[in-house]
Amino acid sequence: MNILASFKNVAVKSPWIYRINAGSCNGCDVEMATCALIPRYDVERLGCQYCGSPRHADIVLISGPLTRRVLDATRRVFDEVPEPKVTVAVGVCPISGGIFRESYAVLAPIDQYFPVDVNVPGCPPRPQAIIEGVAKAIEIWRERL
Amino acid sequence: MSNQIAILIAVFLFPGGLFALALGLGLKGADRRVAARLQGRVGPPLAQPFFDLVKLSFKTSMVPTTANETVFFGAPVVGAVSMLLAVALVPIAGVYTPPTLLGNLLVLLYLLMVPGVALMIAGSASSSPYGALGFTREMMIMLAYEGPIVLVVAAVALHTGALQGGVVTFSLTEIVAYQRANGAFLFDPVMWPAIAAFALFFPANLGIVPFDIPEAETEILEGPLLEYSGPALGLFKVMSALKAVVVLGLGIALFAPFGPDGILGLVTWLVEILVLMLLGVTAIRLSSGRMRIDQAFGFFLKWPLMLAAASLVAVVAA
Repeated sequence: MNILASFKNVAVKSPWIYRINAGSCNGCDVEMATCALIPRYDVERLGCQYCGSPRHADIVLISGPLTRRVLDATRRVFDEVPEPKVTVAVGVCPISGGIFRESYAVLAPIDQYFPVDVNVPGCPPRPQAIIEGVAKAIEIWRERL
Repeated sequence: MSNQIAILIAVFLFPGGLFALALGLGLKGADRRVAARLQGRVGPPLAQPFFDLVKLSFKTSMVPTTANETVFFGAPVVGAVSMLLAVALVPIAGVYTPPTLLGNLLVLLYLLMVPGVALMIAGSASSSPYGALGFTREMMIMLAYEGPIVLVVAAVALHTGALQGGVVTFSLTEIVAYQRANGAFLFDPVMWPAIAAFALFFPANLGIVPFDIPEAETEILEGPLLEYSGPALGLFKVMSALKAVVVLGLGIALFAPFGPDGILGLVTWLVEILVLMLLGVTAIRLSSGRMRIDQAFGFFLKWPLMLAAASLVAVVAA
């Protein structure tokens, strides 16, 4: 048991990240892709790595208010992520719909459709907040391994 | 009997198996860390590739419904095993001489092509259109770099053979022994074009920018690896870690086997391999963008082929 636990402590140092844009205005995506996660604030020091394929991912970042059009596609991509996985909703849109909240085309809050573990509010959230969200997700992920 | 035990040790413990895996993962870690530092980031810990491997073993493996399961899981195993054998064929000057029973330079050359073929099979077995694209690109780039590397190896073999009074020698042990007695080929002007060709060959063989076209993450989503998850993906990581050791080790054995006997020789070899990784892989990876497949194909059929041929002609004419 002890060996298994120590292996888990090692495994938890390698969370790979996959982004799903569920109808986001791209603001949060810009924060995630070009500011928070790679060049300036560097989540690679937490062992994170962006992956091109959902099948390699451990932590799923979903941004956007989940428009009606992308619901099916988002579900299918989400199901391609192998267990154990953790979901982080980035931005205020997944929580309430943000500025799109009363639109007929929007299905937010997205936790009606996806098991959201961590919410990172903001429009867009600060890079530090996104990194904190990822760090919280890693804690949750450790229990699921 | 003792011969068989020696081979088993060579394949599973040193220099193959555990040692090579640790070294390969360490090299990848060093590559990522140095790359991060050069970009002004903190970067992952040195042992990051090892963490990744442990993590992957905890994940579930998913198989696409349309994939051929046997081939889908067989491809990474074949690739990893071929590299396990290949590491045992690479001599370390003054430290390790591969058993003759295992094979010579030609066997190593064939084994070096297996990971590429494994990737191609993986890509087509996964029944994903991106996998199929990766398949065709992998095939094209293999066709392109195969020619130059064969000419480089032929040039070295002919050169050593001629200098020893024979015709040609395909024994890496003899090539290393000759260089240790008479000076490395690194200082032999006849070999310089071949060395340049080899330097261009290994980013292509290791699938690194500018030649990571078959696995381009941003355009075809890692191509053949797209559908892999969990332990099977881990086996591909093992394969590429071992491949880095094989290719860099082959370069050192062919051109620059320095170093005294014993532990110091091993240290020299490790330093050499690390320098080669940082200069030949990290520096190139960070300072260039990805080529298109037709550009890479044309490039390999022009420059490396010409350089390798120049060396070969010089050797034959001398």
